[in-house]
Amino acid sequence: MPDVVAVTWGLGSTEEADELLTLARRCGDVTWLNLGQLPEGAVEAAARHGVTSIIQTNDPKLEQAGADATVEALAQYCRGASPRLVLFNQDFESRLIAPRLAGRLGTPVVMNALAVAIDRDETTVTASAFGGDTHAEYRLSGPTPHVVAVMPNAVSPEPAGSPTNPAIEQFAVDLSGVTERIRIVTPARTDGARLEDAQVIVAGGRGLGSSTNFRLIEELAEAVDGMPAASRPLVDDGWTEASRQVGLTGRITRPALYMALGISGASQHMAGCSAAKTIVAVNRDPDAAIFRYAKYGIVGDCLEIIPELIAAVREG
Amino acid sequence: MMRIVICAKEVLDSDAVNNYALAGRLTIGDDGRTITQTAIPRLMNAYDEQAIEAALRIRDTGVECTITVVSVGEDPSAILKHAAALGADEIAHIKLVDGETDCAGVAALLAAYIGTTGAADLILCGRQASDDDQGVVPALLGERLNTPVITIARDVALSGSAVRVTRVTPDGDAIVEADMPAVVTISSELGAPRYPTAARSMQARRMAPVVVTPTDLGLTTDDLTPRVMLEKLFVPAVQGNCEFINGASPAESARTLISRLREERLLA
Repeated sequence: MPDVVAVTWGLGSTEEADELLTLARRCGDVTWLNLGQLPEGAVEAAARHGVTSIIQTNDPKLEQAGADATVEALAQYCRGASPRLVLFNQDFESRLIAPRLAGRLGTPVVMNALAVAIDRDETTVTASAFGGDTHAEYRLSGPTPHVVAVMPNAVSPEPAGSPTNPAIEQFAVDLSGVTERIRIVTPARTDGARLEDAQVIVAGGRGLGSSTNFRLIEELAEAVDGMPAASRPLVDDGWTEASRQVGLTGRITRPALYMALGISGASQHMAGCSAAKTIVAVNRDPDAAIFRYAKYGIVGDCLEIIPELIAAVREG
Repeated sequence: MMRIVICAKEVLDSDAVNNYALAGRLTIGDDGRTITQTAIPRLMNAYDEQAIEAALRIRDTGVECTITVVSVGEDPSAILKHAAALGADEIAHIKLVDGETDCAGVAALLAAYIGTTGAADLILCGRQASDDDQGVVPALLGERLNTPVITIARDVALSGSAVRVTRVTPDGDAIVEADMPAVVTISSELGAPRYPTAARSMQARRMAPVVVTPTDLGLTTDDLTPRVMLEKLFVPAVQGNCEFINGASPAESARTLISRLREERLLA
């Protein structure tokens, strides 16, 4: 079985590794390499997912999650262990770390992966392209490890047929030669509520007509105790702030309920909300792509419907 | 004088590709991987255009700099002319037939170009190309040049010998700094790029790109052997299963929808 390394860091809970470990197991013999503190219940999660070994590394330089230390630690691990495939959860940080690791090792890399399969010396990766409406299949060959970053929600997590009893090993990295080249002047302000964690999201799109109507989205969001969000054109045009943008180049969300109002459902946007348990949509165009993803739909002008939705919620 | 190099890619207009894909009319050639619709325009990747804008804004602050825009491909002369019209001082074309290399090869070519033309203090790239969405070339280029790579910028400013970048992170904006040379990738949050002025467009018409080949840059076919091959492009099928609520009035539709969501305990 090929050696597959699932790389994680900064996990809030083991659930955030479920998809990656599921995919890794389907590709080969899994080593779970976690940089920094393992989340609670990691050993049980690893056993459930059929992981062979957990590699832990606790160098304090990795605690600040600087890109230079992270890439160097992973490169040292890969040079020593010579895995066949390295898998990342694709997120803001791994979007840089994965290709830099591949660049340092001189091995091929593909991002935005939806499916991965190993066939002898080659790896086949299906990835989203053109914002997601089109998929691309790539064949990776040459030096290993092949490096692949996997899109959120690409895989439905599933426990292994037979659980394992994973060994926990420490991996000692030597980061003495690493000085972070990027200095943080002002860290990002975390204002608590993040779209990524929201259970209910009310999102508006072009169908709102004008920027002043975005307050309808905010009002409905407040009424249903959810968070307001927007498609990219609204953010580009300054109707709301960038932190509200859902989509391929914005937030990747997975709420229980996603209300898409005046959103056409371009794949660029759907990449950020297709994992919602239930999508409901209001759109004037009965053929809008959003209705392909929605469980419930109303065909109509969202400017007429949203006030009625607010009223219906408040009626209780 | 400081040198800013922007790496730009010619792409198929992704909005047009998506419209064809959604309408079920995207045609792929016999090779299984080439979009054959000739009606789809070829444009400069929009993020790369914003990278040029970022460079122009630096120049607007009074920084003495030259701005070079370089593109790898068969014939990106149209987008290079556009770059010149926007205000590039120099345009360069690294000549390569499509499919002869992959992102790693493109990064090798760009690194060799920068290395053989007097280096660069600041290298700006779009955050990703809107065709393959890969976004790996800037990182690979940074590894080649051994420079820091700062991704997803909405603002780029100089501060002495350092570059100061406002990044759009999932937790909000963060401001970071790195000594130059550095690679910075530009995101859509930078804002709309300017339009070319008539005078600059006239000037640009007379500018010809500097054309170099991989051999000129000291790279062989072996160096450029693609390890990531595009095998297939396809439009995935999406199963629709939407239940439409057709109330007699907007109010009735809204009430039905909300009560449905409450029954399913999706709303309190």
